[in-house]
Amino acid sequence: MVLDVSGLPTNTKGKHMVRARGLAVLIIATFVAFACGGGTSGSGSKGEIDIASDLPTSGADASSGLPTQEGANFAVTRAATVRGFTLKFVPFDDAVNGVHDPAHGVQNVQAMISNKLILGMVGPFNSNVAKAEIPVANAAPLAMMSPSNTNECLTVTYAYCQAADGFTAESLRPSTNNNYFRVAAPDTFQGPAMADFALKAAPAGLGITKIAVWDDEETFGQGVANNFAKEFAAKGGTVVDRKSYDPKAKSDFHDFLASAHDKGAQGIYVGGTSATGACKARGQMAGIFNPDIYYLGPDGIGDAQCLTDSGAMATSNMFATQGVADATQNPSAATIVAAYKVAYPGATNIGAYTFAGYDCAAILIDAIGRAIDANGGNLPSRAQVIAQMPLTKNFQGLTGVITLNAAGDQTTPTLQFQQVQNKAWVFKSQFAVGGTS
Amino acid sequence: MIGALARMPSTLRTYGSSQVSNVIGLLIVAGALALTLQHVLQHDASFFFQILTIGLADGSIYALIALGYTMVYGIIELINFAHGDVFTLGAFISLALFPAFGIAEGKSGFGYVLPLLAVGVITMLLCGVINVAIERVAYRPLRHAPRLAPLITAIGMSSILEGAMYLWRGPFNLHYPDLLPATRLNIGGVSIGVKDLIVMTLAIVLVVAFTFFINLSKLGKAMRATAQDRDAAQLMGIDINRTIAATFFIGAMLAAAGGITYGLYISNVAFDLGFITGLIAFTAAVFGGIGNIPGAALGGLLIGLVRAFSDSYFDSSWTEVLIFGILIATLVFRPTGLLGMRVPEK
Repeated sequence: MVLDVSGLPTNTKGKHMVRARGLAVLIIATFVAFACGGGTSGSGSKGEIDIASDLPTSGADASSGLPTQEGANFAVTRAATVRGFTLKFVPFDDAVNGVHDPAHGVQNVQAMISNKLILGMVGPFNSNVAKAEIPVANAAPLAMMSPSNTNECLTVTYAYCQAADGFTAESLRPSTNNNYFRVAAPDTFQGPAMADFALKAAPAGLGITKIAVWDDEETFGQGVANNFAKEFAAKGGTVVDRKSYDPKAKSDFHDFLASAHDKGAQGIYVGGTSATGACKARGQMAGIFNPDIYYLGPDGIGDAQCLTDSGAMATSNMFATQGVADATQNPSAATIVAAYKVAYPGATNIGAYTFAGYDCAAILIDAIGRAIDANGGNLPSRAQVIAQMPLTKNFQGLTGVITLNAAGDQTTPTLQFQQVQNKAWVFKSQFAVGGTS
Repeated sequence: MIGALARMPSTLRTYGSSQVSNVIGLLIVAGALALTLQHVLQHDASFFFQILTIGLADGSIYALIALGYTMVYGIIELINFAHGDVFTLGAFISLALFPAFGIAEGKSGFGYVLPLLAVGVITMLLCGVINVAIERVAYRPLRHAPRLAPLITAIGMSSILEGAMYLWRGPFNLHYPDLLPATRLNIGGVSIGVKDLIVMTLAIVLVVAFTFFINLSKLGKAMRATAQDRDAAQLMGIDINRTIAATFFIGAMLAAAGGITYGLYISNVAFDLGFITGLIAFTAAVFGGIGNIPGAALGGLLIGLVRAFSDSYFDSSWTEVLIFGILIATLVFRPTGLLGMRVPEK
């Protein structure tokens, strides 16, 4: 629409000229600012690429989420650039009142999607948050790389998934194209591996035949507890007591402990996380069980909060699995691990998934790099980055050599066993599982 | 006969629907007891007594909190939603005082009894003072406001207390030292934990002491008089402000004692503990008869038993449904609670 100044009073004509001139200057200045303001770190940068993370970094879950975020952050700052593009790390927190919250995670993903610079995200940490986030990121699409999700139904459609968890891998991907990948070993391995370990005769295993199994009624906890119970029973053991609890309502576990004791349990397997109070019962055991009784769990209990909750009962008869390898056991990771410890020297800066977080960010950067190459050196689209993810072959990560498959899993993930020694979770053993292609 | 049927509605009105609702209530209770008995008989007697003592121990803690709710309601007809957070505050303050008195987990023996009592007394007094301050600041200015105003203020106060504890100790679960002896007694072939008995004893001692105080002391009489008729009490020369402040003080002392007992028994506290525990204690107070002191104690014990039996013999997913179902059923069928009596309208 042309600005028609003819009908206006003539004695303001001068002012109109000034106004029009001022407007032209403003428009030109804006164009100049946009042209120059794009590249933040100055000369030579082809642009900025952001890598986001969505992890629980406040409250009770921070003991597991924050060290993971720091690992991913370290990878991004260490790489600094990819094919001439500047890298920037954009972290998000999905914890509400200290606990991972799926709805808040979805909000974070939506914020990431609207930020055009973000080409991939590290996270989430928890399977129930992934269940909510994958459909949103899948529709966008946005690449997701989780360091720690272990629910098997997130990547593969098993027959029981809909009934047991309320979703299938297919139902989470409306665009039918997979955008979600992870480095952690799925729960199909965690629960059964612990069951086999418990049944195996000592000293290789625990040599127990009767166990009580509890879960926290969450996606992750229930899944891993069911898998454990199934394997334990299938290999000749007896699940003497099977209970579920609501983490928000139950803090007194004396009755559960009395029930397990009454039925002759030699150990307790708790499918849950510290944030859902999986270790509270350990702290209440005195007077019902002696400390020798085995207390087993998945990676959800393999953190410092669990040991705090266990109090004086945090003895060496507590075992947990971790869905990723221990990077400190990998000689080729030594340099980077040492550099990380210099950058983040605190004891709480290293968690079980710190270096998995590092690997996730590094794999995203590697995929983005390959996407840039495939796009002739130009900024790739999010879909192009996603297309590169399953082509990740023999990537030298800190947690092992990583090859991703189209479904989103590692072809040979590693499972780690940890044991409590001197009030800390320490590495006991690890081995590769799977062989999926 | 048709005439009798035609007269039935007026007959119901004469007796009130209380008879019908009493019958319905009794039928529900009988059905629940029968169902429970069926499950109980499937397990052995020793387990039953263990669950019984666990339920009574939990119930004792609820009773201590419920007393505070019922006292405050009786005297100023306010449901003090911040009371559950005073309970949590008691646990937090005692936790902070333990290092100063050399109390830590891992060592055993009777040497802890005196320091623990000292911490207990200091915590109860501190919580009392804080609760009186809360009353002075948040509720007294609204004493003549419509009933909804102090109710909302109480909810706001609850949030403030939770926020303060969040800022003080963070959102993580805090471990409370496990100081109670872990021994078990064998009574007639049944194994009972000494821990459970200690918790029950502590609560009984406090409730009995409190009952003596309410019935025999001058301040207790003043509190009962103010609860019955505030204006008449004032005409009799009772200082209403002082009496109400004393009610809040004593209620907080009981809640703080409940908090310490909870910590010793459950070994685990967090800043938001008061929310759910307070709701359950409030249910207990209503169940027993809001404004009725023995009712609060009875309600607490019964709710503790319901919780323990539901978790052990049935599915723990239903426990909260059951407890709050009891709240709704009480309000619908017998609003005055188990021991409450209809107070004539003035």
